[in-house]
Amino acid sequence: MIMEYKMDTIKTFYYDRPIIEKGYANQTLSIDISVPDISVKPVDEKMKDVFIGGKGFDLWLLWHSVKSTTHWTDPDNAICIASGPMGGTPLYPGSGKSIVTTISPLTGSVIDSNVGGYFGPYLKFSGFDALEVKGKTEKDIVILIDGVDEKVEILETSGLPDDSYDLSAILTEHFAQGKPRHISVVSTGPGAKNTRMGCLNFTWYDLKRKRARYKQAGRGGIGSVFADKRIKAIVARWDTVKADTNNPANGNALKAVGRKHAKEIVKLDPKQNEMATIGTTHLVTIMNDFDLLPTHNFQYGKHPEAVNIGQEVYRPIFDAGYDGCWMGCTVACSHGVKDFVPLTGPYKGTKVFVDGPEYETIAGCGSNLGIFDPHTIIEMNFYCDAYGLDTISVGTSIAFAMECFEMGLIDETHTRGINLSFGNRLAALEMVHQMAEGDGFGLIVGQGVRQMKSILARDYKADPHIMQDIGMEAKGLEFSEYMTKESLAQQGGYGLALKGPQHDEAWLIFLDMVHNFMPTFEQKAEALHWFPMFRTWFGLCGLCKLPWNDIVPEDNKDTPEPAKVMKHVEWYAEYYTAVTGKKTTPDEIIRMSEGVYNFQRIFNLKMGFGQRDHDDIPYRAVGPVKPVEYESRRERYDKELVEKHHVDITGMDTEEKNRLLRKFREALYEELKDAVYKRRGWTANGIPTLETVRRLGIDFPDVLELLKAHGIE
Amino acid sequence: MMFRVNGEQRSWYEGMTVADLLGDMGDSQHYAVVRINDKHVSRPYFEKTLIPDNSEVFLIPLIAGG
Repeated sequence: MIMEYKMDTIKTFYYDRPIIEKGYANQTLSIDISVPDISVKPVDEKMKDVFIGGKGFDLWLLWHSVKSTTHWTDPDNAICIASGPMGGTPLYPGSGKSIVTTISPLTGSVIDSNVGGYFGPYLKFSGFDALEVKGKTEKDIVILIDGVDEKVEILETSGLPDDSYDLSAILTEHFAQGKPRHISVVSTGPGAKNTRMGCLNFTWYDLKRKRARYKQAGRGGIGSVFADKRIKAIVARWDTVKADTNNPANGNALKAVGRKHAKEIVKLDPKQNEMATIGTTHLVTIMNDFDLLPTHNFQYGKHPEAVNIGQEVYRPIFDAGYDGCWMGCTVACSHGVKDFVPLTGPYKGTKVFVDGPEYETIAGCGSNLGIFDPHTIIEMNFYCDAYGLDTISVGTSIAFAMECFEMGLIDETHTRGINLSFGNRLAALEMVHQMAEGDGFGLIVGQGVRQMKSILARDYKADPHIMQDIGMEAKGLEFSEYMTKESLAQQGGYGLALKGPQHDEAWLIFLDMVHNFMPTFEQKAEALHWFPMFRTWFGLCGLCKLPWNDIVPEDNKDTPEPAKVMKHVEWYAEYYTAVTGKKTTPDEIIRMSEGVYNFQRIFNLKMGFGQRDHDDIPYRAVGPVKPVEYESRRERYDKELVEKHHVDITGMDTEEKNRLLRKFREALYEELKDAVYKRRGWTANGIPTLETVRRLGIDFPDVLELLKAHGIE
Repeated sequence: MMFRVNGEQRSWYEGMTVADLLGDMGDSQHYAVVRINDKHVSRPYFEKTLIPDNSEVFLIPLIAGG
């Protein structure tokens, strides 16, 4: 690749790299690019006890960086990236995650996004448990964190490509000194500059294919904050990772538990979901079979053509080989497509390697748009990554625009001549290109569903009430790709999630709807306590959740709580103990997460959110909005009205039945809020009580002051 | 006439459905999906789906998704 570019060092900071102790570097790196200034902050025992690491450290740093009035474009908004005490362990599957937080362009509050790739571990081994970058510059910069030469540099750049695909390849080669596996690049692309849904790409170097591969911190527009600061990339350089690089407290105990889990995955994954071969694509047809695959902007849950975008189609398309986004992971689910040739855009007619697609991208950029062509989905996937766009927000936002178009709320005069009908593959691709260019109707779609609702109502006089019902966002974040209409627990899983409707807090659809493990309100509330807490813990420790419950022990079904996969939870407690030297138990894991979880809820409160009303979800997530949706599941809904709510539906037309169903279902969601708030130790308005914050050790003076301002003392 | 379930041999009979198999094993509630060779079959289709002779069946305890 020949490209004329310049990089001039404008600031260098030399440091003495600390020895990693029991999973911690015991310091964080703070960079203010406005000055520019680079400094180190200590990590004390209290910070480790309360915030553990990963997202916990990010939130603590961000809390001190921003004010309640901070806007996402303000210089004091920080991007924080951290691994966690177990991050960077090559002996235990799924131990290479990073968590990124910032104030989100989509929600106005705290967003967190977890991501694979080598960056988080390399950052820690270079001497930093977390990184915070604040400030803004007028010229493009690259930040280098070089753990080998013990220096941090800020470099002014010009001439580098805009898109992540070329940029990460060039920077990997530039800094590698002949060892590209020692480099991880965080970057975004032009789509991040021109939308609110920019993602960050984190690289890992694929030795077999000799190329930088990437994973995405997709949710919430973190890439847009990155681009707004004019950061082209942050690069970490580290040496060879060994079994003891993380310096665990008890290496033998770590080896024993890590080996058990790794061997179990190797044995059982081929018998279960085959994630090492087909990733998460198996979910497409399974969701379709259970009427849960979002199609046509979440109107329906199945489509006869879904088989065309399922695992049987993608299996032969994926390039076979090891696809672990962190060293030693036996789940190794990060599959990709080799020699793909796009039909549109700047890479039209050239061979590229595409990282993905995963289930969310297939559903978001496929079925939910009425697109059932696997190659169009791959092309959408490629351009979203290269442009630095979140495939979930892109998919859900285009789906909303398509439904508005089909309903006549907008027309071709608004879309500048583009027919945005469901299934129009070229129109969907054109939207992605326009988002990257900041041009045409794509500029509006790229603002996300919440902004689109305002813009279409204000400028095009579209009906705000119907858009409120069908616009699939909550807290400003676009829904990820599962249908929740028939699972009250999953409505809570999305609606009560701290950052907005993303499934990484609680994915309860099957447990609730298919297995019926939680028939009562109390059971649902308990699940909406335990699952978000346990899943939060992965983000504190630098771990991926897939090894926990995507491959389960053969005797799991005979255990008292099969949904929790307690055998693995106990292994994780052993793992934490082996690394940190702090003896822990499954119950203690939940308590660790509770502290951080409640702190994040209070952070939302600080930013003007975090109360009951902010946990509302659009009615499309709760039940059928239009008569045609009711009719598609008439038998189910009629039965619910008659048997559950004791309504005599004789003589009622669909609209009347639908109105009644809505009343009942909305009331149930409010009841669910009450039950969950109570279980979490919150007030009826969804704010943690004084007793809760004291119990969890997060009763810092500014937290108490904030609670007092909301009448809690 | 045999087939394998999670790697273990079982006797096969003509007309055996997935629902029959899970019923015979006493496991009808624990599995939402099975895989027959490379093809996934979900619970709504358990009663309609025949298990072919000599096939490889995997019972998938799908409790996770995202």
